[in-house]
Amino acid sequence: MIGFMRYLLTNRIGLASIVMVFCYPAVALAQSGGALPLGSQTLGRAYWHVFVAYAIAWLLVAFWIAAMSRRLFRIENRISKSVDD
Amino acid sequence: MNQSRMKKISMSFGILGVVAVLILHYMVFFWVPTESSMGIVQRIFYIHVPSWWVAFISFGVVALCSGMYLWLGDDRLDAAAVTAAEGGMIFTTIGLLTGPLWGKIAWGAWWTWEPRLTLALLLWFIYLGYFLVRRSALNPEKGKRLAAVVGIIGVLDIPLIHVSVSWLRSLHPEAVVLNPDGPTLDGSMLATLLVGLLAYSLIFVCLFTVRYATELIDRGTQIQDV
Repeated sequence: MIGFMRYLLTNRIGLASIVMVFCYPAVALAQSGGALPLGSQTLGRAYWHVFVAYAIAWLLVAFWIAAMSRRLFRIENRISKSVDD
Repeated sequence: MNQSRMKKISMSFGILGVVAVLILHYMVFFWVPTESSMGIVQRIFYIHVPSWWVAFISFGVVALCSGMYLWLGDDRLDAAAVTAAEGGMIFTTIGLLTGPLWGKIAWGAWWTWEPRLTLALLLWFIYLGYFLVRRSALNPEKGKRLAAVVGIIGVLDIPLIHVSVSWLRSLHPEAVVLNPDGPTLDGSMLATLLVGLLAYSLIFVCLFTVRYATELIDRGTQIQDV
């Protein structure tokens, strides 16, 4: 056994196979994309980004509606003033 | 088209739009699967793409109405163009703000000066120029005509934005729907995107008709005052 180990350590191919055996789990983990499966983000910034994006979209649409109603209010005021005059 | 008919059209599009928006939100948050490489942040896609879709349609309407205004000189065409430009600015702003929120997670940067992003920002500035030209002219009629020219020139940026990902080196992915080989999206994601496009289009048509009617009333009362 000791003789075989000595053979492996002195032989380049043997040394390379020992390195591969010890490195394989790390390589396999890296190729699998880490501890979590792909796309399974849990909590964190990504949720906030989605929330903020949807909030911005609907707030801007609401802003356009508010601008329209303010304009209509101004027109109504102008018409009522001209009727009074 | 009379006021009551316009009101009915806008109401029916509004109701359909709200229903489509509710269905869209259900699909985005409870039904569509999470994309495998980008994760949850990819769900921004379902509002980001429809906002650009509506922005492009509105700027198309601006160019069409502006061209016809220069040709026929009908003030209603100018009213339609300015209304569409306003909607286009709103939806372009949505696209420009939601993109970086997605890009920060997907690319690791809020903004990069890559071709599509740069051309999209240029589009926003062109239509900002449309309003500035309109308001800064001493003669309002001249301002309308100059703005119409800007509206027509601005629309030329849209095909450039579309082809920038295939013609130039870009961080943006290739088209996943309008692809020559057909859509490359998963069926459920494509269905959610189509509902998003429908919802945004209905909301835009509803708001466009309301805003257009307001613009016509505003112009009508101003003429009466004079």
